[in-house]
Amino acid sequence: MSDTYSKISDSVNKFKNKLKKDQNTGDNVTSAMAAELTIISTVLISAIMLRHLNIILTVLIILGLGLYLSTNTPIIGKIRREQNDSLDRMTFYVILTLAILVTTIYWGIIN
Amino acid sequence: MNDLIPLMVIIPIIAAILLNLFNKNNSTVKILSFVVAIVLPIIPLLANYGTYYFGGHAPLTDYGTFLSLFPNSILNTLHIGITYSYGSMQQILIFFLFIIAFLAILTTIGERKKISGTYMFLMFMGLASVVAMLLSDDIFHLYIFFEIVIIAQVGIVLASNHKEKYETAMKYMILGSIGGPMLLTGIGFLLALVGSVNITDIVHVVKNGLINSYSPIFLLSFGLIFFGWLYSVGLPPFHTIKSDMYSKATPSGSALLQTLSVIIFISIGLAIFRIYNGISYVGTFIIFFSLAAMILSISMALTETDFRRIIGFLAVGELGYLGIGFGIGTKLSLTAALFQGLNEIIITALLFIGFGTTLYLSKTSEINKLGGLIENNPKTGVMVLIGGFALAGVPPLNGFQSKVMLIQSALDKGFPELAIIMILISIVTFMTFIKIFHSIYLKPKPKDLIIEDNKIPKSTTFTMGVLIIMCIVLGLMPSLVVNGFNAFIGGLI
Repeated sequence: MSDTYSKISDSVNKFKNKLKKDQNTGDNVTSAMAAELTIISTVLISAIMLRHLNIILTVLIILGLGLYLSTNTPIIGKIRREQNDSLDRMTFYVILTLAILVTTIYWGIIN
Repeated sequence: MNDLIPLMVIIPIIAAILLNLFNKNNSTVKILSFVVAIVLPIIPLLANYGTYYFGGHAPLTDYGTFLSLFPNSILNTLHIGITYSYGSMQQILIFFLFIIAFLAILTTIGERKKISGTYMFLMFMGLASVVAMLLSDDIFHLYIFFEIVIIAQVGIVLASNHKEKYETAMKYMILGSIGGPMLLTGIGFLLALVGSVNITDIVHVVKNGLINSYSPIFLLSFGLIFFGWLYSVGLPPFHTIKSDMYSKATPSGSALLQTLSVIIFISIGLAIFRIYNGISYVGTFIIFFSLAAMILSISMALTETDFRRIIGFLAVGELGYLGIGFGIGTKLSLTAALFQGLNEIIITALLFIGFGTTLYLSKTSEINKLGGLIENNPKTGVMVLIGGFALAGVPPLNGFQSKVMLIQSALDKGFPELAIIMILISIVTFMTFIKIFHSIYLKPKPKDLIIEDNKIPKSTTFTMGVLIIMCIVLGLMPSLVVNGFNAFIGGLI
């Protein structure tokens, strides 16, 4: 009897804890949607600046970006996951940026 | 009075050493730090514009008799020793830096019964280092102080009570072990190529075509110095760790951390601009990373629930505006960037200290657990609200003036997209601020929230009052500082 009681009690507690951790309040959902729209709009507007390089390239990139962003929503969840406080991820992006930066500057532009 | 120029660095260093010596004596630490902090802002006002040559090692042009030895030679203009340059830009920034430091120290003294001399040591060392970075015309000297300020920043975080402070500080140091050496390697390449670490000499060599601006070594030095700059200021990919640092320090500590970061941004940013301005795509790189900082930081701030972290992300995102000003590279945009930097120092200090009062009363920074603080804390609530308006660029506050200048400079240069993005980000910043303000002050108070019956220290209220006055005065009379910045940039371009 006590076993059954403890099993029920444990499952209720687990359920309660799950609910407690889930902080999807109205505020948070609205914020996530606002963040989603901000990312999509700013990335697309930023891409328009490529017109200073080549108009056709700009059109293609915007179409590609539009397609990618619209088929991958919600994108904010992915961004949050990639930008957490894990040292592994931070180091990965730091090294990646250094590699891309040096490659672009050293080999990409001078040759 | 050019001898006062090095004193702006020497006095904080001596104060730091003395404070560390008197670590155990609480009242001595309090009195000494207060006195030094109140004296420091007077020095930049008394010092004359000019240069200071350490060890008296002036260029040969200053000694007419030697000129005949090397007629028409570049050797005449070379700087042999470390040089400090002091102009209108340095005067304005150092004056406000010392004022913010004074307010941060005053807040710390007011909020803590016992003050650690070591903590004050770190604050003054950080201060001395960034002043040296602003004054120095020597890129290696700049690097040395950059490393000192990074250690001081880590120490300021370690002095807080946050349980995750060690982890964050360790992560920052580990990432610094990538960013710092890259910066030094870039400087090493530059030295190998030019034979001097004096920025004016390097600029002279580059502008006169004595080296090829597109040579692989010169380009590589740009890439490495630029990467080190990203680390030092917290632009992507370092924005996450930088905002983490802000959220783990004490409120006054965070205010100082952000102030130090902005000054590092300006000093290394100006060095990069002066040396590599001739390379056509430098501005593009700066704009790209600035935009990334703005977009990523604001989206992260929107989804966070810890108000210290949100302010941290907002502070990092605001640095993007400075970057855009540097990236556009016109006289107006650079002036606007410097003005924006100054405004950011003031506004973020106000927000860190203002929201810090919430932490002081409730001991939590989770906005889901907070609410109804306007009843307990109406004065502070209104002050924080004004700070939020200034951050978002609401007229007639200072943030509005600098952002309008930045938007105008983007339009003048033919980048309406940048202007639109800056306006969009300002709107979202305002929304984020209103979200935390509502959650902390206006939302009904949760039943389980315990508000301690502590009164907000008068020093904290005084600090916030002074910062608000600065926001309003600079908003109504921007020419007080803009003319000085404009004159400095005019001499640069």
